Amino acid sequence: MELVIVIILLLITLIVLTLAVFLIATIAELVKINRGLGGVLNGVAEIATKTAPVNGVLDAINRTLVAGRDLLEGLALKKAGPDAAGLVESCFPGEGQRFLQRIGRSGTVVPIGEDYPRGAAILNSLLGVEPAPAPPVAATQAAAPAPAPAAAGSSSGRISLRKRGFPSGGPTPPSGGAPMGGGGMSMRPRTRAQDEPAPPPDGAPMGGGRISVKGSRPWE
Amino acid sequence: MLILWIMVIVLVVVLLALVVLLKGVLGAARSITPTVMAIDGVAAAGSKDLDAVIALVTTQNYISQVVAGLANYGGSLDVALPDA
Repeated sequence: MELVIVIILLLITLIVLTLAVFLIATIAELVKINRGLGGVLNGVAEIATKTAPVNGVLDAINRTLVAGRDLLEGLALKKAGPDAAGLVESCFPGEGQRFLQRIGRSGTVVPIGEDYPRGAAILNSLLGVEPAPAPPVAATQAAAPAPAPAAAGSSSGRISLRKRGFPSGGPTPPSGGAPMGGGGMSMRPRTRAQDEPAPPPDGAPMGGGRISVKGSRPWE
Repeated sequence: MLILWIMVIVLVVVLLALVVLLKGVLGAARSITPTVMAIDGVAAAGSKDLDAVIALVTTQNYISQVVAGLANYGGSLDVALPDA
């Protein structure tokens, strides 16, 4: 056999061996990749399973919150009339204009501010007290112990949207049914006793004219 | 005879090119493996993080109760306050 033929055969053998070695190594890597992708697939499947109900739950939460918002906005519109957008703007800056859009009206929203004299006048007329000039809040808090609900209404005679804290050791906040007297939106946690419904006064209408979303509650 | 020697040269060139190309393929395949393993770990960690999603149901119940209380409170205000 001639030398050149031997070299050719040797080269062909080398090529085949090289192909075999590299392809086997590549196949081994692809098998590893396949196993890894199997693990990834399991993890992704778990993620998909766990996140599947999120959309429905969040939609239900959103529907509930929108129902509550619409309820309160309707109440504000019914009770405050043209001042409703200003009240909303005062409590939540920037929301007044959106409130107007939601109720299909337009115009400029003027914030009411921290005090709402018209509401105070209405409450004073309901309580049968004369409107009094507002004393300084700090002086009122420091001077007297906690007033009774009716007395609280008559002492200050103003509604304030200002968040007010009560100093420790000072007078305790009016509890229960006298939110108008103290004039503040308190963020303090309530006790269970405070959350119990108070018995209605004699002759007070119960249930008449109540706003209810029963029947349209999406969570029911 | 000359043709045979030319064939030898061609085979040598083919062998070298084959080695280079297959080495590239193998290197690319080996670079994928750690990436896939990293993704596997991230997917497992993400799946574990989502264990708290079930708490959303409790949140939904709380929100429903809060809005129901709000509705009752609004109803009381509707009775107590005169309309504008």
